[in-house]
Amino acid sequence: MKLFRWRAIAPLTLILGLIGLGWFLFGDRIVRRVAEDSATTALGTEVDIGWLQIRTAQASVELRGLEVADPFNPMRNQVEAGRIVLDLDPLPLLQKKVVIDRMVLTGLRFGSTRRRPAKPVKGGDGVAARVLSEIKTWTQQFKQPLLSLTPVDTIKAIALDPTKLGTIKAVEILSARADSVQRSLESGLKSADYSALVDSANALANRLSATNPSKLGVAGTAEAANSVKRTLDQIARAKQQLAELQKGVTGGVALLSDGLKAVDDAREKDYAFARGLMKLPGLDAPDIGAALFGASSASTFQQALYYGRMAQQYIPPGLQPWRKSGPKRLRMRGITVVFPKEHATPSFLLRDGKLSFSLGADTTVNAFSGSVTGLTTQPALYGRPTTFGARGALSGPAPISARLDGILDHVRATPRDSIDLSLGGVKLPAFDLPTLPFRLDPGVSDAALAFVLNGDRVGGRLSVKSNAAQWATDSTRGKPTGGAAGVVWQVVSGLKELDLKATLSGTVTAPNLSISSNLDQAVSDRLKAMAGDQLAKGEARAKAEVDRLVQDKVEPVRQKVTQAETALTGKLGGNQQALDGAQKRLEAELKRLGPAGGLPKIKLP
Amino acid sequence: MLALLKLLQSIFATLHSEGTPRQVAAGLALGAALGLTPLVNPHNLIVFALLCLLNVSFGGGMLGWALFTPVGFALDPVFHRIGLALLEAPGLRSLWTSWYNAPLMPYTNFNNSVVLGSFLAWLVLLLPIYLLGRKGITIYRERYASRVMQSKLYRALSATKLFDIYRWFRPE
Repeated sequence: MKLFRWRAIAPLTLILGLIGLGWFLFGDRIVRRVAEDSATTALGTEVDIGWLQIRTAQASVELRGLEVADPFNPMRNQVEAGRIVLDLDPLPLLQKKVVIDRMVLTGLRFGSTRRRPAKPVKGGDGVAARVLSEIKTWTQQFKQPLLSLTPVDTIKAIALDPTKLGTIKAVEILSARADSVQRSLESGLKSADYSALVDSANALANRLSATNPSKLGVAGTAEAANSVKRTLDQIARAKQQLAELQKGVTGGVALLSDGLKAVDDAREKDYAFARGLMKLPGLDAPDIGAALFGASSASTFQQALYYGRMAQQYIPPGLQPWRKSGPKRLRMRGITVVFPKEHATPSFLLRDGKLSFSLGADTTVNAFSGSVTGLTTQPALYGRPTTFGARGALSGPAPISARLDGILDHVRATPRDSIDLSLGGVKLPAFDLPTLPFRLDPGVSDAALAFVLNGDRVGGRLSVKSNAAQWATDSTRGKPTGGAAGVVWQVVSGLKELDLKATLSGTVTAPNLSISSNLDQAVSDRLKAMAGDQLAKGEARAKAEVDRLVQDKVEPVRQKVTQAETALTGKLGGNQQALDGAQKRLEAELKRLGPAGGLPKIKLP
Repeated sequence: MLALLKLLQSIFATLHSEGTPRQVAAGLALGAALGLTPLVNPHNLIVFALLCLLNVSFGGGMLGWALFTPVGFALDPVFHRIGLALLEAPGLRSLWTSWYNAPLMPYTNFNNSVVLGSFLAWLVLLLPIYLLGRKGITIYRERYASRVMQSKLYRALSATKLFDIYRWFRPE
């Protein structure tokens, strides 16, 4: 029997030829589809490529009509690119590595409106989906103050759940702490019972005071002096013990005072919680800034943080094997592990990228240019951080300028990503103001954004300045006349100036956002004048409701703490006084014995 | 529909007279790779070429593919575990690192847990599939083949012209 079936070579060759022909005819389309799918999965937002051509002979790829949808707004493109040419290094392709020697990107646009809404990305277990969900939760951490004046009288009762009040928890902790401190110190005091010592010292002093030292003789005087010395030593030791106990009591009392402070702090928080339930707005100037611009500022930082977190996920530092989800297929995707090797080429590397883009109304002029160098998925192999930048200016009746500098430094153990963007004369998009029936169109503005993500620490500054801001009412609801909306409208409707500053700090899990604007003080003053009394009434009600629930629990503990402090300090004081008295008496007797008995002067402890 | 018809023809023909039980069992064992492992991978191109070029039953290969595809889907979580355990074994890291960085090797996709796990499972099962297949075909031909050949379905299938294409890959 033959091992090989030679006559099958012809049909096999035919099949392979057909596969080759299929690749020749449909390869570009397949690669375009695969690239779209991979980029969509990787970025967590729809990516479309209008046209793609592989030029095998030149080892290059040309793409046209690239659109990356905004993950937070399906009707908007984050980025749109007219034409991209990628010149590849062919050798790393043998190792399934993509090294782009040069990229030329032209016709870049930002924030354009999509022709159709972006489709939601399926497969919620990927990196992008995880980051997207994390970032959406992140913005919810900023509790923006409300700007609505709920009439306080219409609130009949606040449904406060006592188990959710921090004061009650703090009281329980303090009560247990007071018991434990008192128990431990009292047992210390019991073990140090000095009444016998004080009695014996006093008896010795009494005995000696009734004796004439000159009649005791030398031996008798020496014996009496020794007895006094021994007792004084005992008293000195007892006082030392008492000093130790005093330290314990001072510490215990401080602990209880801290506990009382914690209870007070918890009660303040509960007041704020109750105020929140009553939906009472904060009317101080910082609250107004946060209420007006908190959401829009948070959303700007949200975009920066999203890409920062994505960079942290896709560009891991170090040379450890890197796990990623397997390719999309009917079968289970599994996990694909990438094994980096020292001094080898990274799996993906863009050595040098040049880009040109347009800003402003004239999108046909690519007056701005930028560059990207060293963009890689394995920075430890490349050994240098990724840098990118762009700048340019457009003169004429509506001059525009832009400058961007950024760095993705994942070479060191803790990755640090930063961008610094400043725009001059750019028309910023209009945005709605939360809880108010109008929107703000900043118009042509100067804006700056600086953002840093250093491991888990986050920092940022955003500023917007405009002299052409326009306030527009919600056409369906007409001009606001009453309540907070009416007051804010009266203040802002004629204003053209906008000066907004937002600062982000803290960590990704516990960020702080502070906002100020040129409108804060004016709006705050007007609102306070209008609703100050009503607010004070509401706050008093919230306070009273909390006090009603916690007062009967706080007071007994407060008394318990005071009693414990008084009892412990009283006992210590009594002991101290008795020992001091006995010591003084013995020292006096010893003095009396000294010259009469001819004894040398005894150094007292 | 045509592909299904062709598959049924080849399966029947294989079971009855195409090649010896050894050739059919060898085809079955090779074809199992197409079913057990994710299909679009270079190793399956090699398996397919072997099915064509080696003097084994091509129909047996198709039968193996058909039989083991549902098994592959069902066992994917097991393959994933096996593959991941091997890929993350500290003792094998240097091996995977050198493979992953060698020319053409990354295209095998053996750094994917399911591909590696299922491929190794197929290698382990290759001999048992061959032995069980050989025994099964022998028993079938002795006891049931004549009855099936008399059936209307078999006669209808073998009458179509498509059957002729299949003959190119018959064992010699």
